[in-house]
Amino acid sequence: MTDVHAPSDTVSAGADATAPFGVAETELDGTGGGATVGPPAAGADWLRWGWRQLTSMRTALVLLFLLALGSVPGAVLPQQGSDPGAVQQYFTSHPGLAPWLNHLGLFNVFAAPWFAAIYLLLFTSLVGCVVPRTFRLAGSARTPPPRAPRNLERLPHSASYSSALPPDAAVAVAASVLGGHRFRMRRPDAPDSGHWVSAEKGYLREAGNLLFHLALLGVLVSIALGGLFGYKADKLLVEGQQFADTAAALDEFHPGRLVSGSDLAPFSITLNSFTASYLNSGESRGQPAAFHAYITYTASPGAAPHSFDLQVNHPLSVDSTKVYLIGHGYAPVFKVTTAAGQVVYDQPTPFIPANTSTFLSDGVVKVPDAAPSQLGFMGVFVPTAVSVGGTLESVFPAADNPVVSLIGYSGNLGVNSGIPQSVYQLDTTGLRQLTAAPQVLLPGQTWTLPGGNGKITFVGYKQWVSLAITYDPGQVPALVCGILALGGLLLSFLVRRRRVFVRAVPAASGTGSVVAVGGLARTDASGGFEDEFASLSAELAAADAAALAADSVGGVRQEELEPNNQPETGA
Amino acid sequence: MVRAKRRTVVSVAAVAAALLTGALVVTLTQGTGQAADPNLVVYPVGHRPLAPDFTATSLTGTPIRFGSYRGKVVVVNFWGSWCDPCRREAPTLAVVAEQYRSRDVSFLGVDVSDTPANALAFTRKEGITYPSVNDSGYAVTADFGRVVLVSATPTTIVVDRTGHIAGEIYGTATYSELTSLLGEAAVTT
Repeated sequence: MTDVHAPSDTVSAGADATAPFGVAETELDGTGGGATVGPPAAGADWLRWGWRQLTSMRTALVLLFLLALGSVPGAVLPQQGSDPGAVQQYFTSHPGLAPWLNHLGLFNVFAAPWFAAIYLLLFTSLVGCVVPRTFRLAGSARTPPPRAPRNLERLPHSASYSSALPPDAAVAVAASVLGGHRFRMRRPDAPDSGHWVSAEKGYLREAGNLLFHLALLGVLVSIALGGLFGYKADKLLVEGQQFADTAAALDEFHPGRLVSGSDLAPFSITLNSFTASYLNSGESRGQPAAFHAYITYTASPGAAPHSFDLQVNHPLSVDSTKVYLIGHGYAPVFKVTTAAGQVVYDQPTPFIPANTSTFLSDGVVKVPDAAPSQLGFMGVFVPTAVSVGGTLESVFPAADNPVVSLIGYSGNLGVNSGIPQSVYQLDTTGLRQLTAAPQVLLPGQTWTLPGGNGKITFVGYKQWVSLAITYDPGQVPALVCGILALGGLLLSFLVRRRRVFVRAVPAASGTGSVVAVGGLARTDASGGFEDEFASLSAELAAADAAALAADSVGGVRQEELEPNNQPETGA
Repeated sequence: MVRAKRRTVVSVAAVAAALLTGALVVTLTQGTGQAADPNLVVYPVGHRPLAPDFTATSLTGTPIRFGSYRGKVVVVNFWGSWCDPCRREAPTLAVVAEQYRSRDVSFLGVDVSDTPANALAFTRKEGITYPSVNDSGYAVTADFGRVVLVSATPTTIVVDRTGHIAGEIYGTATYSELTSLLGEAAVTT
């Protein structure tokens, strides 16, 4: 009874059947909805053309590239917002070039009008592309299926069977089967237009597409939120020291576009102590086991202080700002006294680990106010020192046998010119080395410097931690929107939109009818519609036969004739 | 292919032209209004932020309340002995402090992230005679940072007689910048 045809090569079925499944495929490739090419004539046409160009995917990509390119000077040149001192320095060292760069806004790139122009255009382009598409998708998700075409056998999938029922009853049976499969259906508007039913399924595809586009907008807004109101910063803090979350206190400060100093969460943190424990034996001896930074923080000035144990994967969350422990090191404490007995230097000096497994650390001590001349020291801190053939080496990262080795210099440190130097580097051009050999000091030991330069004491050591401070109000919304966008995309890829048409005409013999079934699937990328169509048409034919049998037995309602073992339809 | 290429070229050119024109227009119209010195900020009378009141300890251990300076013009200088540009501007500050002493202008240093020993060695050597508060924990810096931009040392803030901030200098303060700000601060309503 069932006769499934192979897809015809010459598909020219009624225009209705191939009416677009909502959004046409060409529109989804992002070239701006098939914009007309060529020079427009009137002013309104120019405007429309301009808008289409702006909202095309190509323009968005170009703008994205320009945005990346425009950020380069912000990374290369000093920026007014984060480091005004460096900008001033640049003005001093490049008196000819700096005013020009300033005129172009290159010292404040992220506030420059041209930069704003790029990202506003990008945002407009993306919104202008996504919003109309969202409306189109919403419209397409509500559109009823088109009228059934006249020649169903010309559709890619078609079948037919003869029914003993009259055409209207045969179509009614088919409609109830399709309804059972949760197809959305359309019947003739006028009684004289024949007996047919159009059914469509897979609207979830449009819902997924819609979700994807809306979530994409959400991601854009979230990223804008984070970029405008968020900030990132680093801070090195020695045991016993305190800092408040203010721009000047932060070593590296990267504020968002709309972050001003008064927007920083007003917390302050004191590092009471830091402990690092290492594995003491076995093959992985010296590997870190645990880090604990015991801190006291106040959420705002005058608020009650709280204690917190900051660990590597256990950040402090205060005022929706997160503080992470990202590094640690040693800060030997030095005290420098002049020959006359005046203290000119007394502070822990952070040294930078040169070897992360033994924590052998390098550092510099600069004493610009020493007398009679400035002093500088290049130092090495050895946490667990052993002498190997006359040179000091560290064998363990913990400070079990701390030793410092210093090379002393006197002369001109070069700091009076006002050009900021790195606190971790010593410029020896104006300096004279005090002794040929480095001086090794144990905690508490003092080195009396030659030439009446006073003395330096290695008082002891403290530890420092480096903290990363981040505030990103767009992080959670961006994550949620990202997941939703992915879900929507999957839905729109996996669900296929397909249509099934049933049309019945009176049989030539006079009794019963001939029922034609046609099927059409768009974007059948995952395949499977052919099988679905075959089993569906078989089910339609079977239901038709069963309806006739029940009818002859006596008035059983058609709904009860639905087969229970409905085939899997895929959506 | 050729048509598509032409379309790409035309659209890229159009976007580039629009951007350039926009940037040029904005730059030209803004150009004259921009301050010649990006490191100097002047707040006009009526738009001056109120300076925070604070109590802190001086480098020698005496308590200092900022409110007690009310009625005088105060130059608040954020500095540190470790800060090289601060060392450069120190002689200028010392000279201006001496010149304006008789005109009821006080100077107050805020010694940031420092130890008193290092800071006192600095002031002795540079001949700074006005007091500084010890702000090793950045509390005072944060108080000011919530009102105006204090992003690094040195920063110099001039507070008028009414306790409002008349202007500030980012980075090394020069003699002319400082004296022009003191001139602005002298004007109050």
